[in-house]
Amino acid sequence: MLNRRNLSLAAGMATAIALTAGSLIASTGTAAADDVAAPAIGETAPGFTGVDSNGETVSLSDFDGKTVVLEWTNADCPFVKKHYDESVKNMQGLQTDAAADDIVWISVISSAPGKQGHVDGATANELTTSRGAAPTHVILDETGEIGRTYEAKTTPHMFVIKDDKSLAYMGAIDSKKSANPADIATSTNYVTAALDSIEAGTPVETTSSKPYGCSVKY
Amino acid sequence: MAVASAAAFVYERVTVAGNKNIMTRFIFALLAAIACYLPAQSEPVDGGYALVELISDHASAEAGDTISLALKLKLDEGWHVYWRNPGDAGLPPQINWDEETRAEFSEFEWPIPELLPVVPNQIMDYGYSDIVVLPFEATLPANASGTYTFTGTADYLICEEICIPETAPISLTVDIGPASLGVNAREITEWREKTPTVFEGVTALDRSSDGWTLSFSGGQITEAAISSVRFFPNDHHIVHSAAQPITHGTAGSCIALTEATDGFDTSSIPEGIIVVETADGTRAGYKIAPENGDLLPGTCAERPLMPAIEEAGIGSGNYSEGGSVTNDASTGSTGGGFSLFAILPFAFLGGLILNLMPCVLPVLSIKALGMTHAAASGHTREMKVHGLAYSAGVILSFAALAAAFLAVRGALGNASLGFQLQNAPTVIVLTLIVFLVGLWLLGMFELGTSIQNTGSGLAAQQGTAGAFFTGVLAAVVGAPCVGPFLGASLGAVIDQPSGTVMLTFVVLGLGMALPFLLLSFAPGLQKLLPKPGPWMETLKQFFAFPMFITAAWLLSVLGALTDYSVVGWTIAGASAIAFGIWVWNNLPRAGLRPVMQGLGAIALIGGLVAPIAQAMKPEPAPITANAIIGDWSPTYVDQLLDDGHGIFVDFTAVWCVTCQANKATTLNRDEVKRAFAENNIAFLTADFTKRDPVIAEELALRQRPGVPMYLYYPPGEREPQILPEVLTPGLVIGRVTGK
Repeated sequence: MLNRRNLSLAAGMATAIALTAGSLIASTGTAAADDVAAPAIGETAPGFTGVDSNGETVSLSDFDGKTVVLEWTNADCPFVKKHYDESVKNMQGLQTDAAADDIVWISVISSAPGKQGHVDGATANELTTSRGAAPTHVILDETGEIGRTYEAKTTPHMFVIKDDKSLAYMGAIDSKKSANPADIATSTNYVTAALDSIEAGTPVETTSSKPYGCSVKY
Repeated sequence: MAVASAAAFVYERVTVAGNKNIMTRFIFALLAAIACYLPAQSEPVDGGYALVELISDHASAEAGDTISLALKLKLDEGWHVYWRNPGDAGLPPQINWDEETRAEFSEFEWPIPELLPVVPNQIMDYGYSDIVVLPFEATLPANASGTYTFTGTADYLICEEICIPETAPISLTVDIGPASLGVNAREITEWREKTPTVFEGVTALDRSSDGWTLSFSGGQITEAAISSVRFFPNDHHIVHSAAQPITHGTAGSCIALTEATDGFDTSSIPEGIIVVETADGTRAGYKIAPENGDLLPGTCAERPLMPAIEEAGIGSGNYSEGGSVTNDASTGSTGGGFSLFAILPFAFLGGLILNLMPCVLPVLSIKALGMTHAAASGHTREMKVHGLAYSAGVILSFAALAAAFLAVRGALGNASLGFQLQNAPTVIVLTLIVFLVGLWLLGMFELGTSIQNTGSGLAAQQGTAGAFFTGVLAAVVGAPCVGPFLGASLGAVIDQPSGTVMLTFVVLGLGMALPFLLLSFAPGLQKLLPKPGPWMETLKQFFAFPMFITAAWLLSVLGALTDYSVVGWTIAGASAIAFGIWVWNNLPRAGLRPVMQGLGAIALIGGLVAPIAQAMKPEPAPITANAIIGDWSPTYVDQLLDDGHGIFVDFTAVWCVTCQANKATTLNRDEVKRAFAENNIAFLTADFTKRDPVIAEELALRQRPGVPMYLYYPPGEREPQILPEVLTPGLVIGRVTGK
């Protein structure tokens, strides 16, 4: 029974089974590796690397020890326009205040090429200048990878990351879901509230809210 | 219309009073006629991409009465507005009444919404397309008299690809007087019927760590002819873009929901509506507010597989998915879907056919011969016992195989094994294995001859135990033959619940064991056994061709998953494997034998590994954001030259070997790409894989016979340099940097 022929047969079968099983397991392994942890309050914010409007490579890890604000944006979306509108300059104000406090502000554009909001580096810089915006970096995420990592759904969609790398806030920029700049004055700005709490060392009260805006144009 | 009726009313009074003054009658008739041409109480306003109108079911009502109004939105094609819960991105329509309008208003009654998928697995909205009428109630002020006018603005977010927040002024005038219905009463009633009713059955929400299950039973939902069910929450308790697999039980059904992970407080009761679509396309909605509780009895026949985050559900499917296996309604169900009664006969047949394979038939024949002798010498009862023992051995082996498969499936967690066909390396391995089995069936290499030896050895075993183990070994050792059929059966039941899988394998085993069992009970049947002969080999070879066709199908799946280069590599890998086998078959007796063995082994292993490595290569990332990369065209060239860029044009084709070699050695290298970006050189590609007269013209212009051709326009110059056909990084970088 245990002659060479049977052994080689058994060996052959075993190899075939092992190969199939191995590839099945490996492929689930790959799939698992692709499932980066979704962003969660209190947990370490997912890392990312991207290229900004000046061609520089920017990673979240570059800013260890600093508070970081991520702002998903699309300059043509009415809800983004609400916050950048001349009459209120809400987003620009937040960015300038952040810069003064040494808080890193990263605007992320996850629009795919050809879709609303997609711009090249030069145009992104023009928009920053013409609107008086002051982000530290504008990352061009045209493959949508960073957007998907953070499960960014709308523009604007805001994330505040504490200096200890944990996620302190994710969600809407403020409490009134509308496209009307006049609503800004009477709404609560969750980003400002979060940044103030972090500064004061107190726990952030509103850690998340349902974001509102146009869908991200992946 | 009010004026007309007023005119008619007055006219009637006048006539009844006897005052048939012709002039009066004429004036009233004229007024009535004109009144019909006067604008109606309200008119649609064009808000931009929708016509907006405020309508009423009553033309007149008394002060203090409650009437039904509705906001009617007629949308442009392709645009949509949102439900009370817009989903991941959107805003529902609302009315902002002017200060003067002091009536009391109820909330909108929301008709059943559609699913609006925006980004698969990521962004899902709920809303309406084409037209929606949102009824609500209005109570007229007690002091209204004459007429009452409602004025305000309708604010609504309307989206197609992009979104626009639109505003339209609305107004509606109602007469104060005896109640009478108006022209829009019927429309409002129709749309009221499209709003959900309260569910009259029982619901329960089971919140467990591996997912939520919403079960419902009784009420207006019967399983008859249901094609799909979807839960639309009023709030953000669940992940809107997740699939909701459903299982039907005897008393009701259950849906798997995915709890929201974006920080929403999911501890409250997720109120919402269940929308049921029947086979004829009608949709009905039922309001539910499921309390926490165990699954209702008879609703989940079995806990369905965890919902994979992909698309399923009702309504608009206005995007196309890329090859995902949907864990949709009825895949997990034992009642519907792939019917057990379809699988089992085929499994049985498959088992029967196995007996014809060269691995099994000789064993059968020899045993049969033994049976006849035993019958002749009166050991009938023993024979029957042996037959039963053999069957037990076969069936238990198949059951063990099924158990192993189920264990692996369970261990792999919740991924359906069908998923594996989404993964390119797995598809490559499967293709090559199937190809290998085909080669073996054709007889290119020998793995099975030993079986026949084993077979005769086994047949010599005595006793009941011997018969049992004969069965086991017939099933297991005959594996190379069993392989293809087993694979096919596995494929058929891969997604089915455990019970179905086990049953299928047992039936397969039964089919395989049956002839032997029959023989043991009626040895006379041995005459009917086909005699082993060369025809067995022919049959075995025949089965190679379905294997090759399976390999071809897997290659087409691979082509959809990846691209032509990976498919090419896989076919090359298959050839290498065949070559390796051939080398092993033709080893010299001495001398170079070890060398050839090594060569064969390399070919075999290389043939397997190389395509997988190719499939797993990551996408090359762009070197800098500023690099200009694009498709060549004469106008684009002029544009870039006007802007002062330098240009490098790569005239290439997929079938041009030199071009591909140059890409690998030079054009795809990081240092070359960086050189282009840093020196403001745009990189354009002219792809001549398919016929293109413009490219052909350019080639003729430059007096080149064909591809490859490399043109380099230094910044500021309008005439290009033509580079040699064979490139090196040094050559290209040197030209570009001018060194």
